Amino acid sequence: MNFIPYLRSLGARFFRRARIDNELEEELGAHIQLHADRLERAGLERAEAERRARIAFGSTARFGEECREQLGGNFLDTLIQDVRFSLRTLRKSPAFFLVSVITLALGIGATVAAFSVVNAVLLRPFGFSNSERLLWIYSQRPDNPRTNFSLPEYCDYRDQNRSFDGLAAIASFNPSLADSGEPERVQGVKMSANAFSILQLRPLIGRMLIAEDDRNGAEPVVLLGYGVWARRYAKNPDIIGRYINVNGESRQIVGVLPSSFALPNLDTDIVVPLQPESDPRRNARNSVNFLRMVGRLKPHVTVQQAHAELDSIRQNLHRQYPDTYTGKIGLTIVPITEEIVTNVRSVLLTIFCAAGAVLLVGCINLAGISLSRAGARQRELAVRTALGATRSRLARLLLVESAILAIIGGSLGLVLEISGQGALLRLMPADLPRIDSFAVDWKVFLFATAVTVIATLACGLTPAWLLSRSDLRDALVSSNRASAGGGMQSRLRPVLVASQIALALVLLANAGLLFHSFARLSSEQPGFDATNVLTVRFSLPQVTYSDRAAIVQFYEKLQPRFAELPGIQNAGLVSILPLVPKSISFIHFTRPDQPPSKPENTPSTNYRIITPDYFRAMGIPLLEGRHFTEADNGDRPPVAVVSSVLAKNHFPDRSPIGQQVMIDDNDAKPRPVEIVGVVGPVKQANLETAAQPDMYLPLRQAHKDGVPFLRNSIYCVARAKPEVGGVGYNAGQLRASIRSVDPNVAVGSVRPMTEVLDAALASRRSSLLLIGSFAGAALFLAAAGLYAVIAYGIQQRTREIGVRLALGATRGGILGMIFKEGALLLGAGIAAGLAIALLLARLVASQMYGISEYDPFSFAVVSLLLAIISLVACWIASRRALNVEPVVALRCE
Amino acid sequence: MSDQAELLPGTLDLLILKAVSLGPLHGYGVLLRIQQISGDTLFIEQGALYPALFRLVRQGLLKTEWDRSENNRRAKYYELTAKGRKRLQEETDWWNRSSKAIAAVLSARPQET
Repeated sequence: MNFIPYLRSLGARFFRRARIDNELEEELGAHIQLHADRLERAGLERAEAERRARIAFGSTARFGEECREQLGGNFLDTLIQDVRFSLRTLRKSPAFFLVSVITLALGIGATVAAFSVVNAVLLRPFGFSNSERLLWIYSQRPDNPRTNFSLPEYCDYRDQNRSFDGLAAIASFNPSLADSGEPERVQGVKMSANAFSILQLRPLIGRMLIAEDDRNGAEPVVLLGYGVWARRYAKNPDIIGRYINVNGESRQIVGVLPSSFALPNLDTDIVVPLQPESDPRRNARNSVNFLRMVGRLKPHVTVQQAHAELDSIRQNLHRQYPDTYTGKIGLTIVPITEEIVTNVRSVLLTIFCAAGAVLLVGCINLAGISLSRAGARQRELAVRTALGATRSRLARLLLVESAILAIIGGSLGLVLEISGQGALLRLMPADLPRIDSFAVDWKVFLFATAVTVIATLACGLTPAWLLSRSDLRDALVSSNRASAGGGMQSRLRPVLVASQIALALVLLANAGLLFHSFARLSSEQPGFDATNVLTVRFSLPQVTYSDRAAIVQFYEKLQPRFAELPGIQNAGLVSILPLVPKSISFIHFTRPDQPPSKPENTPSTNYRIITPDYFRAMGIPLLEGRHFTEADNGDRPPVAVVSSVLAKNHFPDRSPIGQQVMIDDNDAKPRPVEIVGVVGPVKQANLETAAQPDMYLPLRQAHKDGVPFLRNSIYCVARAKPEVGGVGYNAGQLRASIRSVDPNVAVGSVRPMTEVLDAALASRRSSLLLIGSFAGAALFLAAAGLYAVIAYGIQQRTREIGVRLALGATRGGILGMIFKEGALLLGAGIAAGLAIALLLARLVASQMYGISEYDPFSFAVVSLLLAIISLVACWIASRRALNVEPVVALRCE
Repeated sequence: MSDQAELLPGTLDLLILKAVSLGPLHGYGVLLRIQQISGDTLFIEQGALYPALFRLVRQGLLKTEWDRSENNRRAKYYELTAKGRKRLQEETDWWNRSSKAIAAVLSARPQET
C-alpha cells in the first residue's frame, strides 16, 4: 500500500515544510561531517577533511532539490510555482496579457453563446419524454406534402391503427381571451384529450387534459401556455379554478403548460379540448381538413411499419369515399423533434461553426503571439535549461501560462455571454422555437470548460512543441538575437498567419453569400405597397357573431368610422394578411370546361376574403376587369377576383373576366363563382417563393362554412395619407374606432405593413448580422495576425535592413521586399480560403436566394475586402522598416 | 578510479535495500556498507544516494528515525519495513534470474548457437 506513506510525505511537504527543509539540511550536513570525521581519522586537517567531504558529496542544493521532488505532491508544488512565475511574467507584459485575454474572451464568449442557443433549441429535451417515439402525421397532397385531415378521417385512423399507443389530433385555434382585463387575441390549439398522455406531458401547475374533458357535455376547460400565464397573470398560481372567457364561452382554467413545451408550426398560448365525438363534423365526410395528428409508436414497431399500416387505412378510405379523398395521395410522417427544429438546424449549425471559426482564428493568433514571445524568451529559457530545468518542465511552464490566459479569458467570455444574452436573443432569428427559454445550464458550463481547455492546448502547445525541438544551446551561445528565432519558428509563423487568413475568408465568403442573398431578397417586389399602411388584427366573439350577417353588420358600422378618421385614405378588411407566418388558406378549384384529368391534379389557389377597399389600401394594382363593390352581396351571383398568376396559369387561352370556376370552399360541394377582375401577383406566404395563384372573394358573399375562421381572425388594412406625417399618428385612432363599434372585440396591436415586411426578412437579417459580426471579428484578427508577423519580422531583421541600407538599397526597395512577403502570405491564405469556402458552399445552399452558392460576385468581393484590409495592415507594419537608421541598426545588439 | 564500475541503472535501490537489510543505517553508513560489501568496485555519487532514500521512504519500503551515530553525531537512520523486506526478496530473485540469463548468453560458444 503506497498510499499512506505517500500521503504522509505529501502532508509533510505542505504542513511541515520548514521542518522538512531543516531536517534535510541536517541530514546532508551530517553525511558530510561523518565523511569528514573519517577523513580526519585518516590523518587530514579538519578544515581540509570537510572541504574534501563537501566536494565528494556534490551540490547539496541540487540533491536537496531532488530529495524534495521525491516527496509526494511534487506535481502540485511545481504547478503552484509555475502559476506564480507565469503570473509574474504576464504582469510584466500587460499588452500581451490584455490582447490575449480579450481575444479569448470574445472567441470563447461567442462560441459559448452559440452553443447555449444550440443547446436550448436542438439539445434540450422537449416538454415531453421519449420524444423520439413521437411521430407527427400529415396528409400528403400532390402540391403539398403537409396538409390536414378532416375529423372523420382522424377518427378512422385513431380507431383502426394498431401501431400507436394512441393517436391524437391537434388543430390551430386562435380565439380571443377576455376576463376583467382588455380582450386579447391568442394563438392556441384544440387537442384531443388523449394528446397529453401521448406526449407524456406534465403540467407546470394544475392538471393536463383528461379523457373526461373530451366527453360530450363535459364542463368546458382551458389550459394556459406559459407565456400567457406569465404575461397576463404575472405567474399567479391561484388562477387555477378561475373562469376565463374564450371566444365568448366561459371556460375553467385547469392547468398551465411548462415553458419548454412547443409544437411544430403551432403556437400554444392556450389549449382547449377538441371534443371530437360531439363535434358536428364528426360524420361529415366532406368537412373541412383542419387536423394534424400525433402518435406515440408502440414499442418494437418501426416508423416504416407504422407508415405502411396507416397507408393501408388511407387506401381503404380512398376506396370507400373516392370523391372526398381524391387529393390525399399519401401520408407524411416525421419524428416530432425533427419537425420542430428542422427548419432552423442548418442556420443554427452555421452560426455555431462560425463562432467556432472565430475562436480558432483567435487561438491561432495567440499561438502566433506566444511563438514570438517564446522566440524573444529563448535566451531566458536557455539559461533556465542550463541551470537544470528540464524541457518538459519548460514546456509545462508555457502551457501553464496559456492556461492562465484561457481560464481568465474563458471566465470573462462566460460573463460576457450571460450578460449579453438579452442582446443575443434580439439578434436571434425570431422563428426559433423555444428560444425565449434558453438559459445557462451545466451543459453550457461543461462546454465552456471544454472550449477553454482546447484553447489552452491550441495556444500553448505550438510554442511548447517548438521549444522541445529547438536546440537551446544555440540560443545561449549565439550573440545574435535574429538567429535565435530558429528556423522552425520562422517557418511556422507564416503558416499560422496564412491559415488565419484562409479561415477568415471562409467566414467572410459565407457572410458575403448571405448578404448578397439578403440584398436580392429585400429588393424583391412583394406585390403590394407597404409604405404608409397600417394593419391590425382582431377577432369577433363567437356568441354575437355567429353568422355572416353579423360580421357584415360589424363591417358596415366600421366603415363610416374609418371614413371619419382624418389621415386615412382607404381602409379594407382581409382574412389573412400577406407574409404573416403560420397562416395558410387555400382551396381547390376547377374550370368547368377543363375538368382535371385525374382528381389529384385539381388546381389550388390561395384564398382570401376581402372588402372592396382592400386592394386600394394595400396598393395591389387592378390589371383587368373591376374591383368588388358593396353591391356584391349575398343576394347577387357570387364573384371573385383572381391574381394575374392564376389568370396566366389557368386561362392562357383567353381573358378570365366573365369566366366561371367551381371553388371548393365549403363542406358540401364545389360552388360556381364568376371572375370579375384580375389583380397583380402578391407574395402571400414568404418573400422567397414566387407568387402563387390568388383568389379573392367579397366579405358580403363569404360562405357560411368559412364564418368561424373569419370570425377568429380578420385583419384591417388602412392606408394613411402620405401628408399626415407617418403612420404612428393613426395607430391609436385605428384601434379606438374598431373598439368603438364593439368593446368585446379583441383587437391586437397596430403594426405598420413595413414591419410585417421587415419581419419576413428578420430571420435572414439576424443570421446575416450574427455571421457578419463573426466574419468581421475573424477579419480583424487575421489582419492583426498579419500585422504582427510582418512587424515581428522587421524587428528580427533590423540588422539586415541596416546592412542593406548601408550598402545602398533604397527605402522603397526595402519596403517592396517586406511588402512582397506579406502579399505572398495573403495570396496563399486567400487561395486556401477560397478552396475551402467553395468546398463548403454546398452546406449553405439552402440559405441562398436568387444567387448560386458559388456566386462569383460574392466570392470576388469578400476576397477583395480581405485583401485590402490585410494589405493596409501589412503596409502599416512595413512602414516600420522605413524608420530604420542604418547606423543604429548596425549597432543594435 | 578507473577500476570502479558505473552503477547499472535501477540497481541503486536494490543495493540500498540490501545494505539496510543487515541493520539500520544512516545515509553515510549506507554508502560505506555498499562500498564495503562490493569491495570498493562500485562507484556511487554520494549526493545521489539521498533522492533514492527519499523515494524508498515514499514507497513505504524504508522507515526513518533520528538517532546518535557511533561518533555521537545526530543522524537519520533508515530501517527496512516488512514491505521493504518483501521487495528486496523479489528484486534479488529477479536480479539473480536475469544475471544468470545474461551470463548464459554471454558465455555461449559458437557451436551452441
